[in-house]
Amino acid sequence: MDHSSLASRVFRRIALALVLVFFMFPIVWIFLMSFQTNEQILRIPPRILFEPTLANYEALISGHLRTTAGNLEISFMRNLMNSFVLSSAAVLLALLLGVPAAYAFARFKFRLGETIAFTLLSFRFAPPLLVLLPLSLYYQQLGLNDTYFGIVWVYQLIALPLILWIVRGYFEDISPDIEHAYRLAGHSWREAFTRIAVPLAGPGIAAAGLLSFIFCWNNFVFALILASADKQPVTVGALAFVTASGIQYGQIAAAIVLSVTPTLLLALYAQRYLVEGLSLGAVKG
Amino acid sequence: MGMLEIRNVDKVYRSRGKPPVHAVRALDMEVKKGEIVALLGSSGCGKTSTLRMVAGFESVTSGAIALSQRRIDELPPAKRNVAMAFEGYSLYPPLTIRENIAFALKAQQLAHREVSHRVDAIARMVEIEDILDSYPRSISGGQQQRVSLARALVRDADLYLLDEPMGQLEPQLRAVLRGRIKGLLAERGMTAIFVTHDQTEASALADRIAVMEDGVLQQFANERELKNRPANLFVASFIGEPPMNLLETQVAHADGGFCLSVGADMAFRIAGDTLDQAARKLLEQAQSVRVGIRPQRIAVGTGDVRVRVVSNQWLGDQSHVAGECAGHLLIAVTVNRIAARPGDIVPFALDPRHLHVFGADGTCIRHAEGG
Amino acid sequence: MARLELNSIGKGFGPVRCAEDLSLTVESGEIVAVFGPSGSGKTVLLRMIAGMFEPDDGDIMVGGQSIVGAPPERRGIGMAFQNFALFPHMTAQDNIASGLRAKAGARELASRVTSISRLLKIEHVLGHMPRELSNGQKQRTALARALIGNPEVLLLDDPLRNVDAKLRYEMRLELPNLLRRSSAAVLYVTQDYREAMAIADRIAVLIDGRLAQVARPEEVYARPASVAVARLFGDPSINLVEVVPATDQGCLMCEIVGARIRLGSFHDQAADQGPCWLGVRPDDLAVVRSASEDAIPARVVAVTPMHERAVLLLRFPDGTEWLAALPPDSPMASADDGVFVRFAPEAALLFDRATGLRVDVPHRRQAA
Repeated sequence: MDHSSLASRVFRRIALALVLVFFMFPIVWIFLMSFQTNEQILRIPPRILFEPTLANYEALISGHLRTTAGNLEISFMRNLMNSFVLSSAAVLLALLLGVPAAYAFARFKFRLGETIAFTLLSFRFAPPLLVLLPLSLYYQQLGLNDTYFGIVWVYQLIALPLILWIVRGYFEDISPDIEHAYRLAGHSWREAFTRIAVPLAGPGIAAAGLLSFIFCWNNFVFALILASADKQPVTVGALAFVTASGIQYGQIAAAIVLSVTPTLLLALYAQRYLVEGLSLGAVKG
Repeated sequence: MGMLEIRNVDKVYRSRGKPPVHAVRALDMEVKKGEIVALLGSSGCGKTSTLRMVAGFESVTSGAIALSQRRIDELPPAKRNVAMAFEGYSLYPPLTIRENIAFALKAQQLAHREVSHRVDAIARMVEIEDILDSYPRSISGGQQQRVSLARALVRDADLYLLDEPMGQLEPQLRAVLRGRIKGLLAERGMTAIFVTHDQTEASALADRIAVMEDGVLQQFANERELKNRPANLFVASFIGEPPMNLLETQVAHADGGFCLSVGADMAFRIAGDTLDQAARKLLEQAQSVRVGIRPQRIAVGTGDVRVRVVSNQWLGDQSHVAGECAGHLLIAVTVNRIAARPGDIVPFALDPRHLHVFGADGTCIRHAEGG
Repeated sequence: MARLELNSIGKGFGPVRCAEDLSLTVESGEIVAVFGPSGSGKTVLLRMIAGMFEPDDGDIMVGGQSIVGAPPERRGIGMAFQNFALFPHMTAQDNIASGLRAKAGARELASRVTSISRLLKIEHVLGHMPRELSNGQKQRTALARALIGNPEVLLLDDPLRNVDAKLRYEMRLELPNLLRRSSAAVLYVTQDYREAMAIADRIAVLIDGRLAQVARPEEVYARPASVAVARLFGDPSINLVEVVPATDQGCLMCEIVGARIRLGSFHDQAADQGPCWLGVRPDDLAVVRSASEDAIPARVVAVTPMHERAVLLLRFPDGTEWLAALPPDSPMASADDGVFVRFAPEAALLFDRATGLRVDVPHRRQAA
């Protein structure tokens, strides 16, 4: 359908540029803010040109925050570490549980199968607070409040449905004949699962893992309620920048840049991998 | 003057990061009014690109296309007055089969009675009367293809474009539908181009067949001409089922003519007076040439070529006998049942009159007499 | 080696019956084609033997031992699939080697892979990934994988479906010899009657989950058990018309569109049959210019050349359409000509109108 005129082509480019600016602007602005002092940020009108400072990053990394109201100890690096540990552990656990479950849902028709799968997905529909209130009571009883394991467990609400549904689709795309062929060659179904199904769904498993990692990383409410300061991830830790002497925009911006960078890099690295997708020649008829 | 004229058309697909693909090269062909033309070739030969350029779904990279003396290659598809049946059927899922077929007629603003009359007639022809009130998702692939055909043929258009129109049809219906469609097109003087990779379909339906390969039109002629006088080695080996037997032979002069030999086991004498001057000159210069003979032209049970039978298959109306001689596999097709088992030695007759001769570059030096 | 026996297999999915009382024996070294229209239950049958489904009723035995309930990997079965089902993340070599269930030593494995790939002419692509192979090469790789383990039973599920016409023809010539080397009991599913006739020792015609006929190819073609079987063999397919045979002066006659056609005395059993289907294959018809009592008048609708023959679509005055396949050197009729159609009495097949079963013809029985 390439009957487009020059005008329509130009229009398309402009529209594309506008969309790009709309989505990129906050990221660029935050990036710029992280190199400015609070005074520079709050200046009206804002200036594009400024003298960059690394003070915000220094403060975050050293953990000493100097404000007009006095010095403050913050544990940003610890929060960053927490985020990393919690999200990785949660995704790992979700993969261990979710990939076999996704395989079962994709390959076997069993009673209530669809219902169970949908129930798992429906956890994503409910507002987290709805789950949190009763959960925090249970956690107190079970002694899971303010433990890494407790948070990792509650993160399954985020990661597991995502992995289950995405990976299930990938398993369904693999022709069952491929596994049958492997079994007829004298291999058990476990071998067919680990040597055929899992490697072929690899890109899908990676994509699902990555997405759930990002969702876990960005989560705020669960950790806010279920964890104390030393187990909180960056999202909650950033609250510390709302100080008695005002909001530390510069440090917040730097904190955001630091906390977004790992997920952004991960996404960029994986993009190549994801696009490769499942276009595997022999599967098609 | 032709109904459809394709003049020196090229199609190049460019996509970033990949070398450009030259799908159609300098294509020049003319379709007469009322003619049925097949674009025949293997996948990637440029036949579908050509059809889509005529329909308007692809732009031409260079060249011109005219329909009824009107330049159409710059027009959007809707303004070209062509009807098309798509390979993937593209039926509208929310409409019934009847509505699908009537859809284009309504756009023509025909009277209600005329529409339903026409839909019924075409439905009867492709045997879908009983499913007119069903929806596309509830009918089989073969039925969907028949609906798609009906939807294209029911319209009034200058040109009918059919993309693999019969590939999915039920085998028992295929031959009858080919006949009916050919009859309908002829009766109403409709001009049609269809794309196919199936030469049986091409020869059954088409008045003329355009054989394409690598984006180049190899030969554009009727079925008999393609079989009897193939323009080059490609056409010769592509047309005909099973394909032509081809042998590499050494050329030697022999009493005014030539002797083409395969080792010590097979030799064919070609009298000089059966060759025109150009052919004689080419043979004189050549050391070796390729000869081809159609499986249907090999007689089994007589002759001086002794082959060891590799397989002998009776298909109900013909025998396919494959035999080996001097390391070459020869296939013969006869209408009689041959009683030979694998391993038997059986004589094959390869009459030199039935030989096609091709030069090293694939050009045809001599055609067989009578194909 | 062992024979494969199916004993009155039945299988349904919900209300749909895919197999009903199927019994079939395939000897070791024999090739039986399972042929039928799509949806007739061919693939389900193969899958029950391979162990992907279990039959509801009946038993499947290999070498006298029931394999029902055994997992696929213990059934001793090799299989090639229509969609090839190669492992996309392994080279052709590893794909083939995976089929060797006995844990052979590395050297033996390599030599087996080499010899089977030489036989199938794919040595030069052993290092390639499946996506780099042509469809023909993919199917040869899949066949090599199925054959390498020397299975007792070999199941081929329409293996040439996705291969282009030229290669399909080549494989059609090659396959019987290749399969016979393995001495396995072979079940070969196909939707192409020519392929079934070319490759198989016997053909099992499967229609709606039931075996309509099991016989040698030439027998199925010449003496189809029912009208449904007759319609499946032949391209163009058999012409049918409803007739009511009647005896007249010791001779069986029937009337088709005004033409009185002598079916001959050998059809005499049909006299009590009542309404019948009369079937004549398109290549048994003669198209002539002159009228006679036993010739059916017709108009030529279109001429469609096909497989070296001219196929005429003929329309009788009552609207019935028949196809005639004429030899290439016969005088050409052209569209819109008025012609007359005749056929020899012994070319006609009669089928009971109610049951569809062939009415036996003594004459034919002697010939076969």
